[in-house]
Amino acid sequence: MDQSEIRAKIVEIIGIYAKDKDALEAATDETNILQDLKVNSARLVDVILDFEDAFDIEVEDEDADNVNTIGDAVSLITAKI
Amino acid sequence: MSLPATTRFNLFVQREVGRLLSVVWIPASAFVLSVIMRYRVQDVRELRRRFRTLVRTTDKPILICPNHLTMADSALVTWALGGSWWYLFHYRWFPWNLPEYHNFASVWASRMAAWVTKCIPIVRGGERGQVSSVLKRIQHVVSRGDTAIIFAEGGRSRTGRIQVESPAHGMGRLVNSIPDCHALCVYLRGDRQDRWSTIPKRGDSFYVDFEVFRPESENSGMRRSRDFAEQITDRLVQLEEKYFARRATV
Repeated sequence: MDQSEIRAKIVEIIGIYAKDKDALEAATDETNILQDLKVNSARLVDVILDFEDAFDIEVEDEDADNVNTIGDAVSLITAKI
Repeated sequence: MSLPATTRFNLFVQREVGRLLSVVWIPASAFVLSVIMRYRVQDVRELRRRFRTLVRTTDKPILICPNHLTMADSALVTWALGGSWWYLFHYRWFPWNLPEYHNFASVWASRMAAWVTKCIPIVRGGERGQVSSVLKRIQHVVSRGDTAIIFAEGGRSRTGRIQVESPAHGMGRLVNSIPDCHALCVYLRGDRQDRWSTIPKRGDSFYVDFEVFRPESENSGMRRSRDFAEQITDRLVQLEEKYFARRATV
């Protein structure tokens, strides 16, 4: 799976939780998941657990601390696959 | 999760200054709750006997996980379980607390009071690194024998009942990250508390019950922390059902 596929899948998963759908359509690697896409902070855990299922990986809480942007999520998943 | 030496030292100073001053602020806090607000705890002697037996007989790290209806809950739970004078001689059982930073940070005096009273401010929904830093500090103090309060729900329940759909992940994460940590689930509710509010009504009488247990999970990583948070919340729901069943018969 290449980075563009990973990124597309990430955006699809985040889309379930994002309140700002317009920002999601224009999302870049610098887009902040909580602030720009208006994902509820409590739902960020669900987002990352969905990443685990979609990419068949395991994420530690400490790993998740570094996930602020879509680019961070791509980096995390790329490193775990 | 290891803490920088300066952070550990700052926590040590905060704890010891608070302890030195506790002869003033702990009885003063109890005075506000019991005399000025005229709050009462139902079956308080039996409750405190159970709590003191628990702390006397356990050598496990304990994280206190109450339900959340008002902004006075952490003070009420602390006072209900231990009273006031008892904490002067068992200071480690006076829990560290994680108040929302924006609720008190605008006034210098309240920031100082929070520091003295074992508070570590947190910005809920804030930057992940800051939240993680606070959780690491709580992990450190609980691992070293103190206890802490972290609410099982992300905020005060808007429905007036335990919100099972939003367990506080940080709570599960803490129990997961501290070896053999047990959760002390505390259900607190004023008889006149129908829904959430800022503070309970003056003169209210509080039902308090608790259970301690060690969550279990076959998962690892974040999923294990999530399992723990859900199990703690489920245990609180059971305590809540017990409360309402009792209330229906009174």
